[in-house]
Amino acid sequence: MRKRRRNSGADQEQTGIDLAPMLDFVTNLLIFFIITAVFVKEAGLEVQRPTSFETPPDENDAQSIQIQILENGEIWVDNRAVDVRAVRANVERMSAVNPDSGVLIIAQSQAPTGTLVDVVDQVHLGGITNITFSTTQ
Amino acid sequence: MQSRRHAPEAEETGIDLAPMLDFTTNLLIFFIITTSFIKEAGVEVFKPTAETAFGRDSGNLLVAIRENGDIWMDRRRIEMRDVRPMMERLHIERPDDSVVIIADKASNAGVVAEVMDEVRLAGITIISIAADPAG
Repeated sequence: MRKRRRNSGADQEQTGIDLAPMLDFVTNLLIFFIITAVFVKEAGLEVQRPTSFETPPDENDAQSIQIQILENGEIWVDNRAVDVRAVRANVERMSAVNPDSGVLIIAQSQAPTGTLVDVVDQVHLGGITNITFSTTQ
Repeated sequence: MQSRRHAPEAEETGIDLAPMLDFTTNLLIFFIITTSFIKEAGVEVFKPTAETAFGRDSGNLLVAIRENGDIWMDRRRIEMRDVRPMMERLHIERPDDSVVIIADKASNAGVVAEVMDEVRLAGITIISIAADPAG
């Protein structure tokens, strides 16, 4: 049996705990966590989806601001094609009229996701976070 | 042995391990706290940018949608019908998970919507679309 001695000069029985096994153990844990650590942090935008297929959002609901995205990336608000930068102004104007309104984004299923995210971003900038997203064929 | 016990100080050779143990334990605690066991998608996509994107700490299930509509999860390509069972399994393991959909800028919004539906049907309600924070 190996006996580890601390500082000599003590005649009495020196009984320090042997830290070496604990150090081994802790180092093993450390290596495990270093290896498994992943420093990924995704930033994102939150969008809601209608909760069930049976109740699609009412597209004639006058309360909500509707934004349509066509498959070629065009954005339509209020039956007018608008630029992505104009979405914010439109949303601000319509939410000033009707402050409780949410935004309903209706995208064609072939529409590019980049445009969708741009629109969501602009609506967020316009001060509305209640966004619902649905697709049409 | 008895004679060595009363030997002079030159005989003593053990390094004091306590400070090293302190240091190592601190490192260990740091890595335990920061580790989050994220399920990576395992594929590189061109993410859209958004000014209002914000980081969510618990967003740890990543689903990637490529330009051609391929869905990647947990470092392999999966079919649309596999999304829901995989999400259900992972959701049972850690119920407070949230999902981040990493969709390519040019991918179809319809695929994104379908994946969102599948994830929601699997019982996960916190879903966000990944975007790089811009300007």
